Amino acid sequence: MTQDTALNPIQFEVIRNRLVAITEEMRIALQSVSGSPTVTEASDFFTGLFLPDGSVASMGFQVAYQAPVCGLFIRHISQKTKMAVRDGDMFIGNDPYVGALHQNDVQMVGPIFVGDEIVAWAGVEAHETDVGGMDFASWSPKAREVYQEGMRIPCVKIIDQGEMRDDVLEMICTASRLPHLLELDIRAFVATLNVARERVQELAARYGAKTVTQAIRRMIASSEARMRERLRELPDGQYHASDFLEHDGHQNVLYKIDVVLTKSGDAMTLDFSGSSPQAPGFINSTRSGLMGAVAGAVMPTLAFDMQWNEGALAPVEIVAPEGLLCTAKFPAPVGSATVETIWVTGSAVMRALNKMLQASPKYRHRAQGVNDGAMATFNLGGVNQFGEPFGLHLMDPLAGGSAAWPTRDGASAGGPITSPMSSIADVERNEQVAPLFYIHRRLARDTGGAGRQRGGLSAEVALTLAVDDAMALVMTHGAESPNSRGLAGGWPGATIVQTMGWKAVERGVRVSHDAEVFGPKPGLMKMTNRDLFEVSWQGGGGWGDPLARDPALVAADVADDLVSEQAAREAYGVVLADGGVDAEATQETRSAMRLARVGAFDDDPARRCKAEPFRRIGDALFLARDGAGAHVVTAAGYILSTGHTRWREGAASTTRAQPPSAYRIKLHEDMRVTEWFCPATGALLEVDFHEAGKPVEHDMILKLEGLAH
Amino acid sequence: MGYFIGTDVGGTFTDLWVCETGGETRVFKTPTTADVLGGVIDGVRMAADAWGQSFEAFCAGIERFGHGTTVGLNALLTGNGARTAILATRGFADTLEIGRMRRLTSGLNETEVTDSYLRNRYAPLVPRRRVLEIDERIDANGRVIRPLDEAQARAQARRLRDDAVEAVAICTLFSTVNPAHEKRLREIVLEEAPHCFISVSHEISPSVGEYARMSTTAANASLGPLAGRYLSKLEETLRGAGMQAPILMMTCAGGVLPTSVLNDRPAYALFSGPAAGVMGSQAIGARIGCHNILTTDIGGTSFDVGVIVNGRPIMRSDISLAGADIRVHSIDVDSIGAGGGSIASVRTGGELQVGPRSAGANPGPACYGRGGAEPTATDADLVLGVLDPDYFIGGRMKLDVEAARRAIEEHVAKPLGMSLVEAAWGIRTILDSRMADLLRRMTLERGFDPRDFTLFANGGAGPSHAWVLAAELGLPGFVVPAAATAQSAFGAANSDLAFTTERPAYVRIGADRKIAPEQAGRIEDALQSAAEVVRDNLARAASNVQARFERHVSIRFRGQTHHLDVPLAEGAFDVARFDQLTRDYQRQYEALFGKGASYAGAGFEVLAVRVTAIAALPPPQSTTRGEPLARAGVRAVYFDDASKAVETAIYRTSYPPADTDVAGPCIIEFPGQSVVVPPKARATADASGNLHIRFGA
Repeated sequence: MTQDTALNPIQFEVIRNRLVAITEEMRIALQSVSGSPTVTEASDFFTGLFLPDGSVASMGFQVAYQAPVCGLFIRHISQKTKMAVRDGDMFIGNDPYVGALHQNDVQMVGPIFVGDEIVAWAGVEAHETDVGGMDFASWSPKAREVYQEGMRIPCVKIIDQGEMRDDVLEMICTASRLPHLLELDIRAFVATLNVARERVQELAARYGAKTVTQAIRRMIASSEARMRERLRELPDGQYHASDFLEHDGHQNVLYKIDVVLTKSGDAMTLDFSGSSPQAPGFINSTRSGLMGAVAGAVMPTLAFDMQWNEGALAPVEIVAPEGLLCTAKFPAPVGSATVETIWVTGSAVMRALNKMLQASPKYRHRAQGVNDGAMATFNLGGVNQFGEPFGLHLMDPLAGGSAAWPTRDGASAGGPITSPMSSIADVERNEQVAPLFYIHRRLARDTGGAGRQRGGLSAEVALTLAVDDAMALVMTHGAESPNSRGLAGGWPGATIVQTMGWKAVERGVRVSHDAEVFGPKPGLMKMTNRDLFEVSWQGGGGWGDPLARDPALVAADVADDLVSEQAAREAYGVVLADGGVDAEATQETRSAMRLARVGAFDDDPARRCKAEPFRRIGDALFLARDGAGAHVVTAAGYILSTGHTRWREGAASTTRAQPPSAYRIKLHEDMRVTEWFCPATGALLEVDFHEAGKPVEHDMILKLEGLAH
Repeated sequence: MGYFIGTDVGGTFTDLWVCETGGETRVFKTPTTADVLGGVIDGVRMAADAWGQSFEAFCAGIERFGHGTTVGLNALLTGNGARTAILATRGFADTLEIGRMRRLTSGLNETEVTDSYLRNRYAPLVPRRRVLEIDERIDANGRVIRPLDEAQARAQARRLRDDAVEAVAICTLFSTVNPAHEKRLREIVLEEAPHCFISVSHEISPSVGEYARMSTTAANASLGPLAGRYLSKLEETLRGAGMQAPILMMTCAGGVLPTSVLNDRPAYALFSGPAAGVMGSQAIGARIGCHNILTTDIGGTSFDVGVIVNGRPIMRSDISLAGADIRVHSIDVDSIGAGGGSIASVRTGGELQVGPRSAGANPGPACYGRGGAEPTATDADLVLGVLDPDYFIGGRMKLDVEAARRAIEEHVAKPLGMSLVEAAWGIRTILDSRMADLLRRMTLERGFDPRDFTLFANGGAGPSHAWVLAAELGLPGFVVPAAATAQSAFGAANSDLAFTTERPAYVRIGADRKIAPEQAGRIEDALQSAAEVVRDNLARAASNVQARFERHVSIRFRGQTHHLDVPLAEGAFDVARFDQLTRDYQRQYEALFGKGASYAGAGFEVLAVRVTAIAALPPPQSTTRGEPLARAGVRAVYFDDASKAVETAIYRTSYPPADTDVAGPCIIEFPGQSVVVPPKARATADASGNLHIRFGA
């Protein structure tokens, strides 16, 4: 890292603000022109300014997964020595084996020249609804190779020194089932890059090209310095996390993303070696997807108050051999990478990061479970109510629940945090332009993860068609894997439930509640205006033991119809009477539940630590030190481990194949849940999900030396 | 003898601008009172005293009473609206809870938006337990899919009565296409809970998109009982004292309307304060021949900008506030967290940041001596010699120079290894550059060249920073309006009557770009229906007015989400007019997004039409003698160069007379503002007391 001293702080700040404003202007240009709802609503796009070496310096507030990909594309162009790069050129590409997350992510970049020199690159990327392939929307559960999933453009010059190459444009748009929309967006890309080019050139004309480049470098260096400072504040150690996804399009196999985070000083390593090998179906991600997932997890979790750019990622090293689910080898299919492996990888990394925050006195208040751990897919294609061919990718599934914080419940329909500003369209807007007809769109009761602080509820929808029939693609992960995990004893949010009520609707009115319950990936199917598709998504993860939740809050949740009376009793141990809490019955119920967790309370005085804890590392887990050394103790002072933080060694536990029904969580047959309790009180310390027949691994191995009292 | 009055009630101060017909113009400021009314009446009393009249005699002489306020906005922001319930379509009660997921990030500024810990700042406008569902459903074509269950509706309305609800918002799906169910629901609520203030979505916010429509209707309902009570009390008091004129309320859209029209629609006046400020600039522009204006206002915490093109403000339809998307036709006033109170801080790696964090009024800048330790832009201005410590707000407040120097020295100069003056100069430069960035954004992004505009500087800190902004944008100078510190009050008294409404008209045109006569007919029907509504309301506002009409069509390329509002000439809407519309649209589109961005091959979608009726009100005429500039010594002031202070003449006045002509460098101190005239510039005053600063003159 080199600090450029020539640039004074005032000039730097002026230019920095200007570059951020230019990036924002690029975002507005793209979002105003684009015809893709993934762009205009879900913010699944990217605009940014890059150094000539492909390092991103300034990016808009969009899906953070996309941060590295245009840079990879720029590097690819720079390495092609025979490719002439001239002023006014723009390049288009979408190859996940070069630098996209999947082929739907069409990207365009252009150099910004001052004189003969490239001072920066501008890049733009957006999810396009259809780029060809065997099924509409370019996602195909049956694909076995990337060739089947739509066109791949490694790198083509589409604007040659300011002139659109109409032959190239026509070739690209011809490959899509929705050529007009794709062409509209490509024109939007051109407009966006033109804005960047003009503004940066104006800036260079005023301050000099060298000063502008210096300022860009310094923006990156600044985020790196701040990120390193943050890492230094966090406890050194090893944090282990995993997340699962089920069904690869062909078979309902369980896949795992495993990450070991080792943090030392001002750097960290993320090791994915323990993840499943790549799948035969479209859920894989390439290495660009893995890099995107890491960016999408690290930036919102740790870089929440700094400029998002390459610098924020510099202290992070990724270790991942080829051929894993998250580093699939060519020509593995990757069509649904974004909502499958990349999403799950992001959740696993965020989970590991949050375990680190959990053990930090300064940042513990920000530790949380997983927000919206799955994005279910409902794609629809056919002929719309206006007689035009259409294809849509429903964005509503973004509205899963957010995870709870140690002092606050999670936001309902809060969605993922990987994209700061995503939104979903109005029901009326959807029905106006697409052949959809909603029966409801509302919050789904009992989907929020149980905990001392409750996770946010997911939304749910029920919809039929406004045309006779169409082809629907229904798929997800997280129907049999609770991805929206809790933390510190909090339970995950509910798993996804997707059903089809065949002939359950007559002229827009529901006439039957019978429905077929789908597995995770029922795939492509014909749907008519008599059928009702219903889905509820994952709620956010809870925080802390649900039996520690204030009964009055549980009663209020029941009064607001966010939690059912059954769940209040079975998940929270709260008994209600006359609309209020029956305090006595609640206390009795909770005591009985705590006892049932451990069978008998361990009152061995030798296991009690008399010293006051000096640090909290969970909701009911603490570090204490006495003559015998450092211990992990529970809130009751019960010693779980001594000399190390592998505290599960001393905790009581129960392992099950399916959690109680009150949690609304369904587990894949190869998955188990293990709850860890304080042997002295039955307090719930952590809830782990893991592969059947495999032991739970220790997830927080703190470096005890140097931890302050 | 008659008086034209404009008042603007802000959070802290109530401003009153008074013009005696053919005579003097004066500005009064009183503290805003909790009941709002008291502050306004205090202002009127001060004015009566100033003219040596009794309150009654003065009130009897009032010819116009224009009113702007942000009070409704503040009530919403602080959750102080009436107890409100919503009636919604079965299955969609959670529309505000889900809030299109936009509610979560609403209210976050540009540096907060990446922090998910700050999300969900605002609860929904109406809590979940007071949103009641009714069995009914209408589809996108207006067909009744499920009839209204009247018995159920009646039962729910009774629940409202029993729950002591004061206001009801009725918002059902596609009521804008077929309002039958909403109309019937209103009748039922009127019968069962007659004391409730009722807002119906297809009237308050007639646009497709249930979240913004429901938010707007709910906001309107929750303000209705309060706004109505306040305005009738004010009107009663002033009329009791002899006022004959009606109170004209400033709307967000920039026209005024009598309370009789606005009482049911308080949401139309939500942003009336900032709108009035822009209207004030428009009125001055019309008088001095400026038709393209960047109207700026720098206060304590924010920098607000409106843009006037060809004499008309740029408008917008959606505004996000207090966690809700509000859809009312409004003057587009954009704003960033940059003002006198903006805090300067040094981050890791020696980076100087100014704003958006603000010290506000309490503790305020370090120099206020109220315990603020962090340096602010006002502290920098003081150190740079722009402000006089003994003449702040006309000398009513003494500034502590030492405290300002200490704060800058300790928090900025020392960490960055700079001199005190360099640090102060840096704070101002960064703040001004952020403001210039917003001005660029609001012009360049819309396809305008900032050099085609005149900059108007309003607000307490506007006139002292305008010289940098104007220079940054390459403008030849700037204008400080005579009422720069009470521009919104001035605007409220100087606006025309205007009423705007929208009608949805969804028409989809394929790649052949041919519109069917039936489709054109639907657009024409919508235009007629909207015209009828605006005509009726304007007739209610004033009899015998000559109105002119402005019509716009919302159109986009087929498949897009965002649209543009394209002006439509007079005459029936037919195939030829549609072709003209699409040509105008593409021209406007390419001006915005660059040549080649437009793509007619995609086809078009028409979404809605909007009609505005405007009836001119005669502007007040005044002859001001003014108060000649008085020399108040010289001061060392830093302009472009932090290493060299310039001896600068100081003048004082409250109202510069028409023959004013002074050369820079100088500072003209008003009781509430300091106009900085840099070296090689000249300041002259026109007949109305507006100052024109020209560089290199």
